[in-house]
Amino acid sequence: MTCTGCALLCDDIDVHDGEVRPACRIGAAHILNRHQVDPMVNHEIVSIDDAIGHAATLLTDAKHPMFLGFGNSVTETQEIGVRLAEKIGAGIDTCSSHAHLIDDIIHNRVRTCALSEVRDMADVILFWGADPMNTHPRLLSGYAYYPRGKNRQHGWEEDRTAITIDVRRSHTASICKGMHKIVFGHEAEFVDALMLALQNKVPKTVYDSKQVLKLAGTLKKAEFGVIFAGPGLVESVPHDAIIRLMDRLNEFSDFRILPLHSQYNLRSIAAVKTAATVTTTDVATGATTNNTTNNTTNTTTDAADAREQQGVGTQTSKITLNSLREADCILCVGFDLISSLPQACDIDARIIIIDPNETLTAGCADVVIPCAAGGVDMAGTAVRLDGVEIDLPCIMETGQAGVGMPTDTPTRMSDASIMNRLLEAV
Amino acid sequence: MPGIKIDQFLAAPDREITVVEYQDIFQTEAALKHGKFSKEYQDLSTVILLDPADLKKIGASDGDLVKISSEHGTVVVTAKKSEGDTKHEVMAKEGHQGHPGVGYMPASVWLNILGSTPAPVSAKVSRSQQKIYTVSELIPGFKV
Repeated sequence: MTCTGCALLCDDIDVHDGEVRPACRIGAAHILNRHQVDPMVNHEIVSIDDAIGHAATLLTDAKHPMFLGFGNSVTETQEIGVRLAEKIGAGIDTCSSHAHLIDDIIHNRVRTCALSEVRDMADVILFWGADPMNTHPRLLSGYAYYPRGKNRQHGWEEDRTAITIDVRRSHTASICKGMHKIVFGHEAEFVDALMLALQNKVPKTVYDSKQVLKLAGTLKKAEFGVIFAGPGLVESVPHDAIIRLMDRLNEFSDFRILPLHSQYNLRSIAAVKTAATVTTTDVATGATTNNTTNNTTNTTTDAADAREQQGVGTQTSKITLNSLREADCILCVGFDLISSLPQACDIDARIIIIDPNETLTAGCADVVIPCAAGGVDMAGTAVRLDGVEIDLPCIMETGQAGVGMPTDTPTRMSDASIMNRLLEAV
Repeated sequence: MPGIKIDQFLAAPDREITVVEYQDIFQTEAALKHGKFSKEYQDLSTVILLDPADLKKIGASDGDLVKISSEHGTVVVTAKKSEGDTKHEVMAKEGHQGHPGVGYMPASVWLNILGSTPAPVSAKVSRSQQKIYTVSELIPGFKV
């Protein structure tokens, strides 16, 4: 079975007698999660049909609807969500800082690789603004550092060099062979200094030039280098600077980049949006446009280029209060808006949430619709952080005890079914 | 006057810090296992790791409550003495010891009250006698 606790989508999970093995803390808690909410309208418990009906009415009446999230939904739900957005003219924002990088990877602007290639070939691994020991606990043991790979039989002891670049000494840094501390406000300067050092020039910078030159030397000697890009990199360094750095690194060695995001199916929603006929609204500007493409790779690249030329993006890196003020109805799908942006409780928009978990947004929402969790009590497909499509079988059947699961699990409707009902009703 | 101490009438010393977000696997687990309204989640979320020098400057000790105020909002959390950056051999060699002027908080609604994260937030920290506010007390219009 597959765990949807994070974007690693570990597919060796076994559930027996209420125990989840060999999942990490996040995965086990995610699969055994029993904190579900009742369907609610205006903070009153109602039937699921009433909640969906009320949500449909709000979406139908909305003049500027906005959909947030979808990174924690199976691909099938994302596809229906995009069709619903198209039907009512809603914009979709994944609210992820990794959106630009994933876009660059999908459109081949930067080189990437599969996690199996990391395990078999990677000799230099950079964790940049990332702390996988706290966000993707099995990355180090499964792929990035500890395992013996095809060309890395001596594993981390001799064959791999792991380096952390971060604003703080993370837990991941404590097991790495090197650590470079980023100075606040000088994040992009570190990239510039490294670019110069790669050309054997001594950078004039707030950073220790010797250490930057030493890092550049290590990177240039890499046979197969990988950068795991965490929020600390993609939030603070412009994505074109990341592309330039990757190009420069590939002049000397073979370097790849992988986004280290938490939402288990974020990689898919970017592709689904690009591949579909989508009406996208840039939440920052309120501008709306139509992009029609088909499903081939070449045309999706064209579509992305066209969007850029029109100045209308489908991806925003960070949701802001001002961007939300444009909307009069916000549908959060697997996204806890209030946890990310508490001030959003004050905005004058109706809020609908569809989520398998208890979220803080329920405290401000007009409509709450609980749903099944992808890969737990709902089957589907998802795309791992390296772009590999993974089938998600049910760990437990909806309303029934699954393999080794307790029998007190309530019946939950899948978010795909809920989106379909909304699609029919609006 | 018996029972009254002079320091009751003095403002607690404060210190300008930059608050930086970090991820904590135990907090993520608590959110899933016990829910985001649980005490377990709140206890792991309402924490700031401060450098020992900063703790000393504001007259606080490990485990004391501190008030953190930014231009966007104010929260009360528990101060924890940071292990600092000295434990790591490589870091020590590179001279990155301690982190005065920088506080680390786990990603949560309490941190987001202070401003948009994970971009670092400028704030003032001082010792506090107030209590830690729950989510519903922090956010106006919030109903549980």
